[in-house]
Amino acid sequence: MSTATFQDPSRTRRVRGGSAARGPVGAAPLERSRRRMFWAFTAPAVIVYAVLFLLPVGYAAWTSLYKWDGISDKQWKGLGNYKTLWQDPIFRTSLGNTLQTLVVGGLITFVISFALMLVLREMNRRLFARSVLFFPCLVNAMVFGIAAGVLFSPDGPVNQALKWLGWSRPPQWLATEHLQTMILGTLVWTATGYYTAILMAAVDQIPDYLYEAAELDGANAFQRFRHVTLPMCWDVISVCAVLWTVSSVKIFELILMYGGSSGSQPPTGSWNTALYVYEEAFPQASTPQLGLATAAALVSLFLVILFTVVLRRIMRRDPVEY
Amino acid sequence: MGSTTGRGPRLLAIATAAVLAVGVSACSSGKSADKAGAAGGDSGKSGGSFSYWSMWRKDEPQAKVIQAAIDQFTADTGIKVDVEWTGRDVSKKIGPAMAANKAPDMWDQGADSIYGTAAQNGNAQDLSAVLDMTIPNDNVKVSAAIPSKYWDSLPKDPKGGQHWVIPYEASTAGVFYNAADPDVSAAMSSAPTDWDSFIKVCDALKAKNKPCVASEGEDSWTNGLWFDYLLNANGVNFADLANDKSGATWDNPAVLKAAQQTEQLVKGGYIIPTYTATKYPAQQTNWAGGKAGFLINGSWVTAEVAKQIPSTWKYGFMLPPGATQPDSMTFGFALTKNAKNVSQAEKFMAYFLQKKTLSGISTEAGNITPRTDIPAPAELADVQKTLGADKLRLTFDGVAGDWNTKVWTQNYLDFWHGKTDAAGFVAKMKSAQVSFWKTQS
Amino acid sequence: MRPRRKAPSLPMRIATGAVWVVVAADIALVGWILLTSLRDGSDILRHPFGVPVHPKGANYGKVFADGGFGRAAVNSVIVAVLSSVLAVVIAAPCAYALARRRNRVSGAMSMTFAMGLGVPGQVMVIPLFIGLAHADLDDSQPGLILAYLGLAMPFTVYLLTGFFSGIPAVLEEAAVLDGASMVRTFTKVILPVARGGLITAFLLQFISAWNETLFAIVLTHSQDKVTLPVALSSFVNEAQLNGLDWGAMFAGVCVVLAPMIALFSWLGTRIIQGMTVGIGK
Repeated sequence: MSTATFQDPSRTRRVRGGSAARGPVGAAPLERSRRRMFWAFTAPAVIVYAVLFLLPVGYAAWTSLYKWDGISDKQWKGLGNYKTLWQDPIFRTSLGNTLQTLVVGGLITFVISFALMLVLREMNRRLFARSVLFFPCLVNAMVFGIAAGVLFSPDGPVNQALKWLGWSRPPQWLATEHLQTMILGTLVWTATGYYTAILMAAVDQIPDYLYEAAELDGANAFQRFRHVTLPMCWDVISVCAVLWTVSSVKIFELILMYGGSSGSQPPTGSWNTALYVYEEAFPQASTPQLGLATAAALVSLFLVILFTVVLRRIMRRDPVEY
Repeated sequence: MGSTTGRGPRLLAIATAAVLAVGVSACSSGKSADKAGAAGGDSGKSGGSFSYWSMWRKDEPQAKVIQAAIDQFTADTGIKVDVEWTGRDVSKKIGPAMAANKAPDMWDQGADSIYGTAAQNGNAQDLSAVLDMTIPNDNVKVSAAIPSKYWDSLPKDPKGGQHWVIPYEASTAGVFYNAADPDVSAAMSSAPTDWDSFIKVCDALKAKNKPCVASEGEDSWTNGLWFDYLLNANGVNFADLANDKSGATWDNPAVLKAAQQTEQLVKGGYIIPTYTATKYPAQQTNWAGGKAGFLINGSWVTAEVAKQIPSTWKYGFMLPPGATQPDSMTFGFALTKNAKNVSQAEKFMAYFLQKKTLSGISTEAGNITPRTDIPAPAELADVQKTLGADKLRLTFDGVAGDWNTKVWTQNYLDFWHGKTDAAGFVAKMKSAQVSFWKTQS
Repeated sequence: MRPRRKAPSLPMRIATGAVWVVVAADIALVGWILLTSLRDGSDILRHPFGVPVHPKGANYGKVFADGGFGRAAVNSVIVAVLSSVLAVVIAAPCAYALARRRNRVSGAMSMTFAMGLGVPGQVMVIPLFIGLAHADLDDSQPGLILAYLGLAMPFTVYLLTGFFSGIPAVLEEAAVLDGASMVRTFTKVILPVARGGLITAFLLQFISAWNETLFAIVLTHSQDKVTLPVALSSFVNEAQLNGLDWGAMFAGVCVVLAPMIALFSWLGTRIIQGMTVGIGK
């Protein structure tokens, strides 16, 4: 789970407005000292970011144009690696799984989170419930992957319970063809608590008088939801969508360890692009393909960019004033 | 003094031999290396050190055997060994480590893994010099202690060499069963000799509500052994099949026949139920608990289930009926491309092959060694006999690497899980293979 | 909580019940993992609902002795604490400068940091491995700390810029008028006020470094250098090779899980607020 939080633009705007209103008395020396110190303050972070973050991204982009096992010399391939990716059925499966997690998983997560938020708001001891639901996103997903190996094993607790309830042939949860679905389910379960908490925080900020006004106008519960709650947290939803895009593309350890270890590598049917990158760069018994691996990594980066741009465009609304 | 002056040429000889490819030159320099190796045993402390990444984790029995040998080796020779118990992932780590010039001098893995990761690209050094070294105390050359067939069966590196690994553990894959299991002995009086009679045995077990075959459904390696052996029984070489860029070999009727025979296991309902939904070693454990008749795996499986089987258990071993040639898979030491402490590491390889040291692989780790004068653990006595064959065939005829991931694994598992039939499997493999080889330029 | 609450409708009561069922299931799951870690491996699959009649502490002994979890836990703490402290120490002045100075340069800089939020880790993992190996920093704690430090930059700068923007500028203006230098103003006036934000930034970074797996698996492999997630994954691999000991595996899982339970019980509200604040308004 990503822990990214987005800065609230409106608040900074407010602060800036505040400083503009300041008297002119202290402004000049303050401004001079700020200019002088700006670079001294930012330099360490900028250097760290450039060397340990931006440079690697650039190096990855450059490597993706070569065929390279890491040992012999690089061979120029141009966009050849991207073509190879496109022809590789396993990469297409990985990309398909990534997209499925991103789109289907995202929709399910948001629907459930929204529903949970609406229910939680009306509940007693809602902070306790929120905390419990939130907790899974703080835990290494491997933990749940390994636990699922026992929980959903053919004679495990889940199937024992189902048999007890009268289902004589309960499903084979961990069969390879169900793996991607199970992983998706686990992911949705760990993520909903987080998004529910975000939505709750957003809805808590909606002033009560809006609901009261709506009620006075004779709006029923659904209409209040439709005309007050939804538009008021639209901004937050659009940020959540971007957040989900980024975090769902880099899921790794959950797949690596789902149901316990698979020895050399998890079944290819459950791979996503992150796992593909890892398996191509660090294969069990073949030559590392660093060019191909970095090309696959860049495809996931393009995917994030594409989705972010499209989502921002689709979800752009005029800010609601109140 | 004498030993100091003698060391220069010796090192030179070993280094020369290591650099040169197999062939006349290696033989000619062999004699001096041989003498030097013998001298190394008595002349004692020559010092130095080398680094080693192991495929074993610290608490595995093989690691304990190797650690004991290392301690003794350091005491005898003064050569320190900087060892890291990396585990099986060593094959994932070694390529990138060589790339970063951070690799150890020596590492070990299955020969298929060493080949796929390093040797096929010329990233494993030639070890012909070790073959000419004398094993300390035993006073026998490495090439005499370990049958040459273990190297002859290996694929060649870019220079045409096959001596890129020094094996210390040998194994073959086959069908294991409990001969003392009354269900099994009722179903067959003696091991079936052809496939149809094996299917009859399965039917007999099925009639008693006992699954015939245990299988870890997610593992294409062990399950693929059935197909590999059946191809062999039908006269097809797996490597020729996999390396055919046109895919035409898949049209060979013998290939379809092998697939159809494999399919009989799937469609006949002979495989343990739930096999598609578990992780290794759940079904192996079921088999050890008597819940299925047969299990196909490498001969290391007896050591893995040693603590689970009842005391009444009596091992039976056979090849999948119809197949005649056992396959072979060895585990051994290799040198990385830029290994610096070649002579020290090579000295250890020969040292470890001593009878008293190597016996630990059998007595403590419960596995077979490539030395014929070290008896296998009792339960593997029959298996060791099959490895006595004059010629060995590599498991999957040596096919390893990317082809496995990209072409084989998913398609075979779909087939093994009953999602495709034999003809569909063959067709899918053919097309996947054609497009795979297109991307490998 | 809300003044306008009325008696809940039937669907709402059903929904509330459902939520409590899910909450109970979550708690039961964690409890079940903790209990199972004390059970005998072979017993677990036979009686999945069993309770440890004779708690088997040996599972934990095995995890620490064979799995090297003790060393790995120490490494995890070192790496997570140092990388998070460094991240906050380096990011805080930058975030402060970006929050206070608003022009084209700082705007572009903020934007560049923000774009880093969208880069998935797998893009950097191979280049960082190669780069750190060339600097002789692979398979070492300093290397892993550097990697985490780089990964932490976009988020920490972004988060702290938000916090600093929320601090009224009047505070440091008074200090500057009193003749304090900007460094002094920052350390003596701003940092104490922003302490809450810094702690939150540290906590969130600590949690993500504690759980990080991809870089740890790629960058470390020696048994005395790996962090807990790597130790857990190799322990699980190994447990499967030595016959499936689910009891010991769950003990390993608990070593990774327990610190998060402790941390969350202690600082839960702060963590939740840190991870959700600024998204809502």
